[in-house]
Amino acid sequence: MVDQTTKCADVPCVYAWLYCIGDLYCTKKMFSTSSQSKHWLFSGETELAKCRTEANATYISKHRGTMTDNEVTSHFLTPVEERILSRQYEVVLRKFCAEFQPPMPKCVIGTSLVFFKRFYVNNSNMNYHPKDIMLTCVYLACKVEEFYVPIGQFVKNLRGDREKFADAILSFELTLMGKLNYHLTIHNPFRPLEGFLIDIKTRCKEIENPERMRKATEEFLERSLQSDACLIFSPSQIALAAVRFGASKEGISLDRYIKEVLLKVASDKEAENMLYQLRRVKFIVKGIENVPREQAQAIQKKLENCRNQANNPDSDVYKKRMLEKLDEEEDIRVKKRSKVSEES
Amino acid sequence: MDEQGCPRCKTTKYRNPSLKLMVNACGHSLCESCVELLFVKGSGACPECGTPLRKSNFRLQIFEDAVVEKEIDIRKRVLRDFNKKEEDFPGLKEYNDYLETIETIVFNLSNQIDVDATKKMIDQYKKDNKDQIRKSQSKMSRDEEFLDTLIEEEQHNAAVRKMMDQEEVKREKAAKKKIQQSLIDDLMFSDMSAKDIISSHRQNIQQQQEEEQEARAATTAFSTGIKIGQHSDNIHLMKQEQGQVFHYCPLIMEWCGPEPPTMDEIYHDGYLRNIRAATDQERAGGFREATACHRALQDALCGLFSFPNINPSPVKSGGAAASSTASSSSSSHLPMVLS
Repeated sequence: MVDQTTKCADVPCVYAWLYCIGDLYCTKKMFSTSSQSKHWLFSGETELAKCRTEANATYISKHRGTMTDNEVTSHFLTPVEERILSRQYEVVLRKFCAEFQPPMPKCVIGTSLVFFKRFYVNNSNMNYHPKDIMLTCVYLACKVEEFYVPIGQFVKNLRGDREKFADAILSFELTLMGKLNYHLTIHNPFRPLEGFLIDIKTRCKEIENPERMRKATEEFLERSLQSDACLIFSPSQIALAAVRFGASKEGISLDRYIKEVLLKVASDKEAENMLYQLRRVKFIVKGIENVPREQAQAIQKKLENCRNQANNPDSDVYKKRMLEKLDEEEDIRVKKRSKVSEES
Repeated sequence: MDEQGCPRCKTTKYRNPSLKLMVNACGHSLCESCVELLFVKGSGACPECGTPLRKSNFRLQIFEDAVVEKEIDIRKRVLRDFNKKEEDFPGLKEYNDYLETIETIVFNLSNQIDVDATKKMIDQYKKDNKDQIRKSQSKMSRDEEFLDTLIEEEQHNAAVRKMMDQEEVKREKAAKKKIQQSLIDDLMFSDMSAKDIISSHRQNIQQQQEEEQEARAATTAFSTGIKIGQHSDNIHLMKQEQGQVFHYCPLIMEWCGPEPPTMDEIYHDGYLRNIRAATDQERAGGFREATACHRALQDALCGLFSFPNINPSPVKSGGAAASSTASSSSSSHLPMVLS
């Protein structure tokens, strides 16, 4: 697009460009045309589990060497163990976010969790340790959601060697973005929730004081963050399911709102599918179980033996690799410089 | 640079900002209060050079260098007598010689060179050219005449313009009155409804105004003299490569859900009552509550009907599903796909 505009410097073309920008802006804001709906919605938990198992198998086949199958199961993490571990780290992530100073808006937590979940759909916990990825996700989400916290201030929220943490976060940032295919705009269910509340207050006046649903609704959303709902459903579906849940808790019926307002012009098929999706959201969110902590700790110990040392900031392999990379960059720079000086 | 000051009382411009320096024929400056003090009687000697001076001949010093003042004074005096014009001479060379002698006289007098001889020369010249001098004094120079005619012409033009303006105002007033009168007449005697009459009148007025504007837009040249509408004639721009003309196709929104309310509906259907009013800071940044409201609603409704590769028809009978929307216990018989 840039090429075209520079080639023909007509006035109309400048307008064309502005129009395009405006349209891009509009469409970018919309979920329906986002990368989230195109690339990061899975049909269900079955498909997600399949992807995760594949990532696990790829890692094992790369690193098993000459191990027998029995040795493999005792040495490497199984897909189930991986799932427990990443869920444990999701809990840690949320706790970290809740205690973060300065206090962060909800959408940052939502976005960082989505980053984290997306990352481990196609990557194994053994390849990248969730500890590092978790922090990087939060740091990146802060930037994406325009709640920028400089790295120095960011690591003040951590205990331990802060400089080391900062180095790890910055070195994993690019990897993370690459693994996310640079799909960084996340649509969270928080804004749709507000939209539904406004809409209900305006178009469904028979409900008295809809604000009383808010508490249960927000609890539902909070709970949905623990599940894979954000990888399966659109944010508006999650939000509507939450509102419906909140309403039923308060003894309010949203039937009329859903049927006569939302589904007024929808086809039968659409209406049917949407209601089905709502029920699925509720089913998945309600089915969430707490993470068994002791088990998670044991898995973490096991991970120390089978993790990819090349991606461990504490290992010698990693340090050596980083140094080589630095040298390489330096080499390239030197070559460029000598080339420039030759030419001039 | 030296501070300007009175040589007698040593007051400077720095110490007394309202200091006024005066100068007389001899070219030595004195401050105003010293002049008052020394020349109480009306005349006296210059404290610096002893030249006898009159109080009435003191004037404000304009140039910083008092010598310049003195030279100006002398020149004025000399030119009063040496007032021949170019046309009094047979040729340019003679005129230039004459100017040269004037300059020499002025220079001699202001620098005290051969004062006596010069003065004698002036006297001699005066005597020789007595008649000539008087004649020239009475005769106005050609330049002055030209200036006078210019001023006269300008005054005349201004008067004419003023008259035209007044007439224009009068005409406009009369026209307005006429229109109003005709409107009232129509309202009184016509059978049409009052609304129609008023609207038709309004249209007429508008048309007239447009015509007038067209008539006025007769300027054909910019103030620089370049003709309007002939820009490409004398200025050759670089030939631009013409790209394809852009056609804007309005964006088709894929809501993938129920259509959210438009901006107008947000304003009219009372959505804004249910949202926090924008603070002054937000408004200064260009954010209205309607913008936030619009975005929240759009986000809420957009993507409601998004079913990525939904698995085989979820519910066996569609009608039953639609009717059992509210039953929260319906999740119990969900298909096994979910687990």
